Order: sequence, then structure tokens, then C-alpha cells
Amino acid sequence: MARFSPGSLPVLVLFFSRIFLVPIALGSADVEEFSEELLLKPLSDRKVLAHFHFESQAPPSNSHGRHHHLFPKAISQLVQKFRVKEMELSFTQGRWNYERWGGFDPLSSMNTKPVGVELWAMFDVPLSEVDASWKNLTHSLSGLFCASINFLESSTSYASPTWGFRPNSDKLRYGSLPCEAVCTENLTPWLKLLPCRDKDGISALMDRPSIYRGFYHSQRLHLFTVDSGQEGLDSGIVLEQTLTVVLRPDSGSSKKQIQPSWTLSSLFGRKIFGSCVLAKSSNVYLQLEGLPVHELKSVDQELETNGLWKNAGFELSIEPDRVLQETNSFLFEFDIGEYNDSKPFDLGLTWKLPLKWSCGQAPLHASRFLMGSGNERGAIAISLKLTETYEKFSGGDLGDGPCTLQANIFQVFPWYIKVYYHTLQVFMDQQQRTVSEVVKNITVSPSTDKTSPGVMEMMLELPCRMKSAALSLEFDKGFLHIDEYPPDANQGFDIPSALISFPNHHARLVFHEETSNSPLLSKLKEKSPVRSYTEILLVPLTTPDFSMPYNVITITCTVFALYFGSLLNVLRRRVGEEERLLKSKGNKQGKLLQLLSRISAKIRGRPVESSSSEASSSVMSSNFLLKVMLVAGIAATWQYFSTYM
Amino acid sequence: MKILIFLALLCYLFACSSGETTIHTNNWAVLVCTSRFWFNYRHMANTLSLYRTVKRLGIPDERIILMLADDMACNARNEYPAQVFNNENHRLNLYGDNVEVDYRGYEVTVENFLRVLTGRHENAVPRSKRLLSDEGSHILLYMTGHGGDEFLKFQDAEELQSHDLADAVKQMKEKRRFKELLIMVDTCQAATLFNQLQSPGVLAIGSSLKGENSYSHHLDSDVGVSVVDRFTFYTLAFFERLNIYDNASLSSLFSSYDPRLLMSTAYYRTDLYQPHLEKVPVTNFFGSVMETIHTDSTYKAFSGRISDKINSDTLFSQRSQHGNSETLDNVEASNEIHELKTEKKQCPYTQMRRDLHERLEKLADVDTVVNLGIVTMLLLVAASTCLLT
Repeated sequence: MARFSPGSLPVLVLFFSRIFLVPIALGSADVEEFSEELLLKPLSDRKVLAHFHFESQAPPSNSHGRHHHLFPKAISQLVQKFRVKEMELSFTQGRWNYERWGGFDPLSSMNTKPVGVELWAMFDVPLSEVDASWKNLTHSLSGLFCASINFLESSTSYASPTWGFRPNSDKLRYGSLPCEAVCTENLTPWLKLLPCRDKDGISALMDRPSIYRGFYHSQRLHLFTVDSGQEGLDSGIVLEQTLTVVLRPDSGSSKKQIQPSWTLSSLFGRKIFGSCVLAKSSNVYLQLEGLPVHELKSVDQELETNGLWKNAGFELSIEPDRVLQETNSFLFEFDIGEYNDSKPFDLGLTWKLPLKWSCGQAPLHASRFLMGSGNERGAIAISLKLTETYEKFSGGDLGDGPCTLQANIFQVFPWYIKVYYHTLQVFMDQQQRTVSEVVKNITVSPSTDKTSPGVMEMMLELPCRMKSAALSLEFDKGFLHIDEYPPDANQGFDIPSALISFPNHHARLVFHEETSNSPLLSKLKEKSPVRSYTEILLVPLTTPDFSMPYNVITITCTVFALYFGSLLNVLRRRVGEEERLLKSKGNKQGKLLQLLSRISAKIRGRPVESSSSEASSSVMSSNFLLKVMLVAGIAATWQYFSTYM
Repeated sequence: MKILIFLALLCYLFACSSGETTIHTNNWAVLVCTSRFWFNYRHMANTLSLYRTVKRLGIPDERIILMLADDMACNARNEYPAQVFNNENHRLNLYGDNVEVDYRGYEVTVENFLRVLTGRHENAVPRSKRLLSDEGSHILLYMTGHGGDEFLKFQDAEELQSHDLADAVKQMKEKRRFKELLIMVDTCQAATLFNQLQSPGVLAIGSSLKGENSYSHHLDSDVGVSVVDRFTFYTLAFFERLNIYDNASLSSLFSSYDPRLLMSTAYYRTDLYQPHLEKVPVTNFFGSVMETIHTDSTYKAFSGRISDKINSDTLFSQRSQHGNSETLDNVEASNEIHELKTEKKQCPYTQMRRDLHERLEKLADVDTVVNLGIVTMLLLVAASTCLLT
């Protein structure tokens, strides 16, 4: 809004401009809007991707009296209280299969997330207050979403990346909890932010058991504020809620070549009974890749569009309202506003002919693993392999100069993984290279014990000709205090996923014709850098083991018992008396034995052998004296040491 | 004499707020499953069953603190994702669409448990994770897990001792965080956990005596583990028959436990609890049945509060009167709340208040009384300010 100086213009004009110009300047954005969309996409490995996208918008308003019709109050209070500029929270279970489900489309680069909880937020507060805001935000979110996000409040679990996570990450905090469980109690509060909850509209599809039976589910909440650029007005908020699920339809047909056919009710166990009445737009899209590209500019366009959704290869159960053509896929658009209880929307896709396609791949396929053994040290290796699609692509334009491929790696290490950054080794096609050859930029903030995690941001520049590259870093394993061990410490400790992003590669959908202004499609049309997350790693650390003290106690007790037992034996035992006793016993028995031997001798007819039992008592007594002296000597030295030491 | 009446009323108000005659205003539940790992599925099922029961009987989610030490519903070993069953017939999914877990996983520690009970949290902790009970609260504390003589294990790593529990309860009592507290524990040797309790208003039920084990009820071969403990199973069997309007008493719950079925002897500690168990309905703890008292004069009282202070005071004290054992119908039927209340309650002030009320009724010119009252109030205020300055 233009600023009028009150001196030059009458106050009345200012007054009117306030009233009339504000709505004009903001256009249609002065009312709260909500839209619900669902994108379905068969994947090449016989699974189906369902991507729910809900978007709520709150227009800028004055900060004192904000009244919401559609926008969730909990979120707007959060934004206002902690001055959040942008925030993203995701709950994920399962790992996105970049090779089979795609790594070069906007869906995968925006919506795939590391396992567990990931949270990042940018604040609009002075730099000194960012950490306090972050701490309070984590606590609030943990209360809101029934998760242990409050574990991110401790300074050991969050990091402040500089450039590796996002291009302009000023006052940004990033944290992730790889071992956090994700279940319905996280989804329910997320659904409660929607105006129709899960009662009506597209969100009614969310049958919990079928969602959580899937191979991958990622529930995401992304919000950012939109500056109104006017004084006295607070900024507006845009809230995107997405849920990405990968499901496997029950393939009734035994034919392995043909993709499984499915309907919405077979995937989710539910149907859509009309749209949420509060939504501005509610659409369902079906994206099919790998179809032969038709030229829509045909003579009989009616027949042509008909042939698109009902042909020899596959058939849709419902006629789409529109068909959008993208570079290598088709989007069928369905408006579900016209469906109701008596006429539910249950889209079905029936395949008739086998169809195979490959999905777009990120330039490099990244995987990360642990090396070394034992509880003392180890090494982390990140291996990057050039994917097939990129190989072809890069092979084409080798003509102009040295072709390079840029990749950024962002990695947070917990403090008990003490990484030695000087041990960074780079291998390219199995041959070691100098670090400076490949690593163009590296920012490291080393971890501090029990205070802060280590952050590594690295920019790699790899030649396109290479087939594979690997990086390795050595680390020492730290010791935790006994209180710091989780109850299931033997399971191991997680190292959060590393983020590999390709700043020079952008994934986007390019449509041949104008699309409606649906938030989902405009999101997909946006240029977004390709990113992929690696696996999380499980590091076994030394864990407190109480069998050790028990072993020590047992062994010491045995040693003591042996020592004192023999000592007592030596001191108390009367060897001479015992021998006398034995002798007398031997005499008693001897009579009987002599009698017996005599009898046997008589029988045999031989003279009796005189049993010579001459005990060398003199030898025994000297032996005994020696022993007594030995013990006395030991006792004397013991006494000496115990008194003088 | 009128000043005297006024002063007496003031005294009465102060006395009532001092806590002796606090009424039951709200219900809270703290449900704790302390065991981690998949083979302890039954402990989570126990807790979730109780969660479902108290929710069904009227305690809202924001007044339930649910602590689950592990994630069973979405555990990779669970054949039925996002579902938890407490019976092999699988008729009832305890992990429905509306479960709010307040503390879960590693958050379930002895420290957090004691913090919840005593209310000593960090400032940032959200309200949904706090036990915001007051002196009019009835709290149900249910715990299940593995235990032994005077201790209960948390996550197989820590122990809550009977002294800790007793200490926390004592602190709660001193901080006026509850009016009545029912502690229900399903663990081996549960009775020993109550040995150190001293605070009045505490009732304790344990599944087994010292030296006895608590056993699981049955195994679900589809889930692969035992799904419910015996004590909880028979507790639930008792509650399944009830709805929110039932008047089943605590003693009927206690007598429903059969040692032969439980394979252990349920233990009740009642010496700290004054009311007769025959007269206390189970919904006092396991549900939230709030009495609604219909008065025609509510709005009148609020609008005329300034001009008619004495009357509004009387009305306030009437509304703060509260009998525990009446049913809703009873209250609705009775238009003469005064008489009903005064009969039921033996508050020492009630008699005086009734006398005052009768005298006020007899007075012909109420307006003069009111005016005089205001004048005396002004005088009192003036005098106090003079004294202070």
C-alpha cells in the first residue's frame, strides 16, 4: 500500500485509502482459503503413491484481533507467539525408494523425508533469542502433535546450518529424531487442523490401518508467513499439510506382467463422499507415467480425449474432467465437488496390457554405511553412484568444456560420534583423490561433548565422466554418562540421515497447457532443487553391562576363598596327629588285612609279605616346620606392610 | 447487629475457601504403562483399555495424561498396524482414531512421572502434558508394568519405589492437587507399593499381595503375545456393563474380584479414605459425572451482584453446596434446593447460614439492609485504608 504523508493529503483520503485500498491491494487473498487435493500415481514396482495436499491460507490482519474461520487457531498462535517465519515438521516411517519410486520429480524432492521426526524452523527474532524460541517451539509442538519433539530442545540435538541445508538459512534451526515412532496419535492432531477433519472431503479416505499398512508414509506440515508489506498489519500465513503414502494394492490377478488394478476403496477401504464444503477447491489427480505421448491436436478431439482414459491399455472407471499433458506423463483431473453420499467417488484404474516405465532418477544415488568394528572407533562412508538416466543425459552434452556435477552434503553428527574431519578421504572410481580436487567448499562445526552436535556442510564438484565416488570419515565413539543411556541402549544409537542436494538440478512438472490455479499443481510446477536423504545409521556404543561387575566380584571371591582356605588349612591342620590317626586306623584295619592275607597266602602256599609301613616321621616333621615358618613369614610381612603402608 | 451478620458472612466465605469443605469439581486420570518392548504388549493394552473406559465414562482427553513407554500399534512386529487389541476376538480396536498420547517412548521416566504428579514442570511444557488438577479434583492413577516388593520398574531401566510414590502423593496433598485419589496398580506384588502412603483421601487397589504374581489373562496367537492382564481384564469386565449414569459403588467393584479367577488376591487400602465405599460410585474416579444444579435465579444473581451483595453471597454459597450421592433426576426434580441441601450436608456453617437466611426472609425492608450494608462496607474500606496509610 502506498504511504501517504498526512501533511500533504487530507486525513480523509488516508482514511478512505485505509478502507478501500487494502482489499484491492491484497486482491483475493483477504479471505481465508482452504483447498484439498489428492494426487494418485501408480509406481513402476506395482505400488501406488497417494499424495494428499491440504492448504490453508490466512490473510494478513491486524495483530490484535485475529479471528479465524478456517485457519487452525493453534497454528496461528504458534506463529505469533514464537515469531516463526517458516517451519517444516515431518513424521515419517519407511524409507523412500529413490530408485524405483523416483528421485527427480517434485514429489520426491519435496516430500520425501528422513525416518522419524524432522523439524526445522526460521525465526523472526533477534539472534540471541532464537534458541529460546526454538526450545519453546519444540515443547509446544510436542504437546500439539503427541510426539517427543521436546527432545530437540537440548542443545545436543539441534544444529544451526549455514548454507548446506537451505540457501539462505539465517536464524534457522534444524533437528531430527530418527528413532521417533510415528503412529495414529500423530496423525489425529494433524487432521484436527483441517476444517473438515477426517469427517468429510478427501481426508475422509484416511483409514488408519490402511495408511499405516503402507510401505512409506510421511506426514508433513509446512508453514510460512507472507509479508503484507504494510504497517499495522501482521503477515499472512500459508499452511501446507501433506501426507504421502505408498500402498500396495491387493493384486487379485495372478498375471505378473500386468500392473495391479485398484480402486480407491480397495486401497483405503473407504470412498470419497463429496468434497469438504469449506474447501475452495477439492480435486483428485491421477498421474500416469510412461504412456505413449499423444498429440492432442487431433481432428476429433472428443474421441482423442476419450481414448486417453479408456483405451486398450487401461481404463478409468470415471471420466476425468480434464486431461493435462506433462512432458512425460498425463494428469487426469477429477473435481469431486459434484459427488455426494448417494453417488460416492470411487476412482478405479484397470490395467489391460502390461506397461513398463522407469522413473526419473536423481543424478547420483547416495547411500551411506558404517565401517570398522569394535566399540572404540569406526568410519562413515558415503557412496555416490551415477544413475543410469543421468549417464545418458550427461553423455549427450559433453562437447562444451569440463562438465561438472555439483552436490551438497549436509550431515549432523551426534556428539558421541567424534568425527575427525582431517581423515576425510575421497575416492573416485575406486581411486583416491586429493580432497581439494573434489571438495570445493566445506564448513564444519565440530561437536562439543554433551553440548552441541557436529555439523558438516560440504560442496562437491564431481566430473560427469566418473561412475562412482565415495567419501569416508573416521570417528571415535564417545562414552555416555550412565544417566544418558536410553533404556534400550543395546539397540544402538542412530545417526540422522545425511541430506544430499543438487543445487543445479531442478525438478518440476512442465505442463503443455494452462492449468487451473490449484495449490498442488502450482507447487509441482515450482522449481525445486533435487534432494535426497540417505539411510539412518545405527551405531553400537559401549553400553553399561552389569554382568562385568558380577564377574569381577565372583572372580575376586574365588581368589580370596582359595587363599584364605589354604591358609586356614595350613595353620589349623595337624598333619602329625592325622598321620597318627591314620596309622592307628591302618593298624586296626591291618589286623584284618593281615588275617586275610595270611589266609590267602595259605591258600596260595606262599610266605606272608611283611607290609612295611614305616612312616618317615622325621622327614614329615621337618616339612611341617618349613610350612609353619613360611606361613609365619607371610604373616610377618603382612603385618609389616599393613602397619607401615 | 447487621454489621455482625455481614461479618459472619465474610467469615463464612473465607472459611469455605479454606479447603475443609471443598467439593468435587473435576476428574482427572493419569494412566501409565511403564513397560517397553514388544512382549509387554499386554501392559499397553491394559492402559489403553482403561483409557477407553474413562473416556467412555466422560473424562475428556485434556484431563487424561496417558503415558505409554513404547509404540506397539505401529511396531514393526504388529500384524495389525495402527491397532491394539485387548482380546483375541479383535472386536474392539483400542487404538482408534482419537488417541492422544501425552508422554511416550523415552519420555516415560520416573522423573517425568513424578513431575506430572507434583506439577513441577519447566515453563515451556505445554498444558496438555500437565496434570492441572486442583483441590476439588478426583484423580485416578492407573499404573501397570513389572514390579516387585515396594517398587515398579520403568522401561526396565529405572524403578519407582513406594517411598517415591508416597512422597509424591504427600506433596500433591500439600499442594492441594487433589481431593480424592484412587491408585490402581496392576503388577506383581502391587500391594507393597502402597505401604508408605500416608496422605488422607487416598484409596489404593493393587492386583496382588506381597509374594504373589499378577498373571496375564490370555494369549492371542495372531498377535503372538499375551494381550491383557487378569486384574485389568476383570476390571474391564466390570466396567463394560456400566454406563455413565450407573451408580455402582466402589465396594461392588472390589467385591467383583475373584481370587480364583485373578490367580492373585486383590488388595485394597482404605484406611486413608473416609467415605464409605458402599456409597461412593465408581464414576467418582473412573468417569466424570458432574452434577448440574438448575437454579432459576442464576442470571438475576449475576446482574444484581453489586446492588445486592448479600443475596449473591448466599446464592454463591448455595451453589457451592454439593452432595455426592444424588442422581441427576433427583436434583432436577427438586426446586427447593435449599432444603434438600441443608438436609444432606452437615456443614457447621450451614445451620448458621440457614438462620441468617430465615432472618433475612423475615425482614420487611430488604432495601434498607442492602443500603446499610453498602454503607458499612464503605466505612470498613475507609477504615482499612486509613489504618494502612
